[in-house]
Amino acid sequence: MKETRLKILQYITGIGLFFFIGAHLFASYLSSGEPTSWESVSERAASSGWLTLYLFLLIFGLYHGLHGLRTIILELSIPNSAVKVLDWALLAIGVAIFGYAAYIVINAF
Amino acid sequence: MAGKPASEENRHLPNSLGIRGWVWAGRYTLERYLFTLHRLTGLGLLAYITLHLIANGTRLGGEDAWTNTMEFLSNPGFRVGEYLVVAAFIFHALNGGRLILQHLGFTLGKPKPPVYPYVDSMRRRRPITLAMLAVMAALLLYVLIEIVT
Repeated sequence: MKETRLKILQYITGIGLFFFIGAHLFASYLSSGEPTSWESVSERAASSGWLTLYLFLLIFGLYHGLHGLRTIILELSIPNSAVKVLDWALLAIGVAIFGYAAYIVINAF
Repeated sequence: MAGKPASEENRHLPNSLGIRGWVWAGRYTLERYLFTLHRLTGLGLLAYITLHLIANGTRLGGEDAWTNTMEFLSNPGFRVGEYLVVAAFIFHALNGGRLILQHLGFTLGKPKPPVYPYVDSMRRRRPITLAMLAVMAALLLYVLIEIVT
């Protein structure tokens, strides 16, 4: 994919994360009750709305974070041959983390 | 002369300063230091997400494992860390919004003739930066009060 498209996706995921994390923080810390108690966490985990939000949060967060990391590494002028290795490594890390984290939220649903 | 396609060329000059260039390479403006802080907070948030996912993974061990993890994370040291994470998020989000508006050209303003004394475009946009910092300070204070009380 072209670098400009990757960058536009970085902006889109950044804007999306602002709202998703805002909702996540609001529910976790500004709502009444104890947000990290087992009952409260289980209640949120059983909701399909929260499941959807967590999965979007995960996809947007992983893309934004790993693409940001890629940008920082590329600024250090690594050779072109290493760029592809970096891309595949970050993709593998992203897929692995997504698989693990998605398993946690789907398992709890 | 037939060269490599643009996508395969190294189209940038080598970054000889490396990480050192984040801190100092001459007279940096305020925005240049915000750039460095944007990267540092981004890396910090990435590290936090990793730890957050590991902590959330303990729910797979059941209620006891979850409760033990939450008790371990409720000590004052982690509460301070939690505030720093929220602070990093607020800064990264607001500065990121400023950068998006700037990169897409919404805050560039109209071009001006180069009449002495010259004012570069970065300094003309300084009020936006200062407004962002003011909003950030207000939000950080609000979150601090919420956490303490």
